[in-house]
Amino acid sequence: MNIDIKHIAKLSRLKIEDEKLDKFEKDMKSIVDMVDKLPEINDSLSLLDPTEPMTLRSDMAVTNKFKREDLLKNAPEVQAGCLVVPKTVE
Amino acid sequence: MRLYEKTASELSEMLNNKECSAEELCKDVLDRINETENKVGAYVSVSHESALENAQKIDTARQRGEKLHPLAGIPIGIKDNISTKGIRTTCSSKMLENYVPPFNATVINKINNAGMTILGKMNMDEFAMGSSTETSYMHLTRNPHNTDCVPGGSSGGSAAAVSAGEAIVTLGSDTGGSIRQPAALCGVVGLKPTYGSVSRYGLIAFASSLDQIGPMGKSVRDVAMLQSVICGHDKYDATSKAIEYPDYASNLKENAKGLKIGIPKEYFGSGIDDEVKDSVMKAIKEFELNGAEIKEITLPSTEYAINTYYIIASAEASSNLARFDGVKYGYRAENYSGLTDMYEKTRSEGFGDEVKRRIMLGTFVLSSGYFDAYYKKAIRIQNRISSEFSSAFEECDIIATPTVPASAFKIGENINDPVKMYYNDVCTVTANIAGLPAISLPCGMDSKNMPMGLQLIGNKFAEQTLLNSAYTYEKICGGFDALSKAL
Repeated sequence: MNIDIKHIAKLSRLKIEDEKLDKFEKDMKSIVDMVDKLPEINDSLSLLDPTEPMTLRSDMAVTNKFKREDLLKNAPEVQAGCLVVPKTVE
Repeated sequence: MRLYEKTASELSEMLNNKECSAEELCKDVLDRINETENKVGAYVSVSHESALENAQKIDTARQRGEKLHPLAGIPIGIKDNISTKGIRTTCSSKMLENYVPPFNATVINKINNAGMTILGKMNMDEFAMGSSTETSYMHLTRNPHNTDCVPGGSSGGSAAAVSAGEAIVTLGSDTGGSIRQPAALCGVVGLKPTYGSVSRYGLIAFASSLDQIGPMGKSVRDVAMLQSVICGHDKYDATSKAIEYPDYASNLKENAKGLKIGIPKEYFGSGIDDEVKDSVMKAIKEFELNGAEIKEITLPSTEYAINTYYIIASAEASSNLARFDGVKYGYRAENYSGLTDMYEKTRSEGFGDEVKRRIMLGTFVLSSGYFDAYYKKAIRIQNRISSEFSSAFEECDIIATPTVPASAFKIGENINDPVKMYYNDVCTVTANIAGLPAISLPCGMDSKNMPMGLQLIGNKFAEQTLLNSAYTYEKICGGFDALSKAL
């Protein structure tokens, strides 16, 4: 199968350097060829394991679990207690 | 004999009888790290001060006559994808090189409550993606039995440290074999618990439906003791199961007599090294001589397991790793123009090639036009593999297979051939796909004098039976020689 590596990288929010494109394409092709070999079976499909139902938490806001400044310590750029990101709307 | 050479259960008794102090023990292991770490490279970071502080605290508590957990003061290493409050947690990635979690994983709270001494954080394949620890952004980890060889992965640091005596026990994580494969290659014991028995809260996610934290050590008893510390229901992990978990170590007993062991022929095919096959069959024979009943079984969908695994794991990884965008925490590229460019540059500079391959494979199998052909098909096979195991466990108690097709390979040997590397997981991925507990045990050395691994797989939440069988094999062997003699 042919893989459009530039398209997949774009969907993945990745940029592949030009000199690495060939290697990535070759690797991806052999990986996809490997996973491609799956038989067609008509078993019913359940995406969740019916024998192991999850226990979901109640839907309520959790407050004061963390301090704002503790969470912001790991942020790449902070100003006035807010995360700084590039302009998103014109 | 130095303290680092002993097992956790031996040390627990010594501490209890005041034959040594937690501080002496901690210092001895820290000394051992100083002596061998330049050859092994098991750690991303060592926490000398906080480790000694904890040891002193435990000694004081013991002197005061406080009731302590049997593992109080036992030094432990933690895989660097398990969040430790105030201790850098990198996933061995440039992306999280400077990330210091503001919270503890549930397993870390449990380890702290037990009074264990955290030595530091263990090297791993980047984001747990790999089978050799070579994809780590930090440095290589070397196999203590032969430093030209890989320790396996992704929990390579955790396995190498136990084998080198640089930790008494460690925690790893296992998504497709990441505890059992390095345990086998380094000659130590490693348990992947049943999915849902150990909380994943604070484990930095790779493939959430497959990931499980588990213990590694020099003996089955050590692994059983540590498993009892970390298991249990947790409201912060919706997939964690609320059942009664037995005290595995106190209930350990030999169980060979009448034990029904299934031998699936699919795990002994042409891809498995003859020496590995022979040593695993020899182990099975020993069980039989001690009264076990050996049954040939068949798990026909095994041949699709590795394909199924890489589709499901990569699909989940591509979604889980979408959070690394350079906004709230982690690496951010320095030069960019606009938001999308920042995302793309951050991720391209922050992730290594293997992580990029997995993200792209996951994106591909989930993308429009391919979802039905890959992901849905894989889920159908996953269900099929699970039901084949369920049928097998109607006629046997445990299943025995090799852990890895061959002993440790040389550093650099497979790194440029991803598909060849992926086949390292051929015997281990099924336990993750079906959510089953599985343990790797040392089962001898091959002609290159490198360790080989026996894998025992149990039924869901049947850790006690699994650990008892492992303990039986350990007794048959007269104990495991888990410490490397090559260092």
